[in-house]
Amino acid sequence: MTTGVLIFAFNNEQIDYLAMANWSAKNIRRHLGLPVAVVTDLPVPESYQFEQIIHAVPEGDHQRKFDDLSESVTWYNGNRVDAYSLSPWSTTLVLDADYVVATDQLKSLLGCDQDFVAHHRAYDVCGHPNFDEHNTFGQYRMPMWWATVMLFRRSEHARLIFESMQMIRNHWKHYKALYNIGRTTYRNDYALSIALGTVNGHTLNHAGIPWGLATVTHNQKLTQLGPDQYRVEFTSQDGKSKWIQLAQDFHAMGKGQLGAIIDSAG
Amino acid sequence: MDTENLIAHARARFDHATAKRTLREKYQGKLTFAYRGGMWRAGPELHSTIFTCGRIGEVVLLDLYENPVKIDTKELLGLSQERFNEQMNAWLIEYEELNKNR
Repeated sequence: MTTGVLIFAFNNEQIDYLAMANWSAKNIRRHLGLPVAVVTDLPVPESYQFEQIIHAVPEGDHQRKFDDLSESVTWYNGNRVDAYSLSPWSTTLVLDADYVVATDQLKSLLGCDQDFVAHHRAYDVCGHPNFDEHNTFGQYRMPMWWATVMLFRRSEHARLIFESMQMIRNHWKHYKALYNIGRTTYRNDYALSIALGTVNGHTLNHAGIPWGLATVTHNQKLTQLGPDQYRVEFTSQDGKSKWIQLAQDFHAMGKGQLGAIIDSAG
Repeated sequence: MDTENLIAHARARFDHATAKRTLREKYQGKLTFAYRGGMWRAGPELHSTIFTCGRIGEVVLLDLYENPVKIDTKELLGLSQERFNEQMNAWLIEYEELNKNR
């Protein structure tokens, strides 16, 4: 039985996801003690240290505008559904390249017997109340399950979830219409949410990660204070500039800002 | 009535409540742990459940996923109390810091 982390890293015009994955791999080894496999279409520099390198052709070349980047970028997000077939591990923790591991909190997931878990709720670390809108999708406000952190064990249940996600990705136009999703761009979070509903018999009773996904959004300023210590600047309700110190795992939506942190780390 | 002051006060209260809620989110995660294949959240509810079993040794409890798990009362209580005390102390420190910055 092997356990490891899987990160997808397909660079685009402005974001070096491979460098992000390499930086994240160091954090993962330090806090979780797990090997990391990267899925990429690029040659991996010798200085990067991954336990396994898996080459794949990027899929799903959508255009996406991130608020902290000056221009739209190509977003290759279509390969995540292949995590089950690509992963070299028996138990796999799939992490977004922009998920920052700053503690050993994810270790607790490895000790539980669930075949598949993901976050079913994200929250803004600065407490912006409108963020809750992101926890549903489509006109029917179906509950969202986030593909940012997924833990799966080799099992019929997990296999069916990923195969359903593939089906949804391959017939995105149909599912977009069925769930009345306004966005045209395919998202893994939507595919996961729809797949979980289907595989679990539409019970909405899926095993989730029992804590919220901490999120730093595009319009907050993220900087690093020290090892595993981050600063997030934001504007409060009374219009004042404030900041908080973060010493926990989080999802950095501002790819440009995280990229700058990684660049300065060398 | 000084409505400007009232508005500023209300907004500050809102921000404080938000920050308090965010702290709660953080520590909900930190209080969670795995034991014998189940997921548990350290706290008074779990401790009370263990006490109400009325026996020491192996009993069956429902974990956070509502799955029955055979646990050892002494082991689980020990793990839970240790985590609870550690994380509540950390929570208090952050909460006091938050109040200082109001």
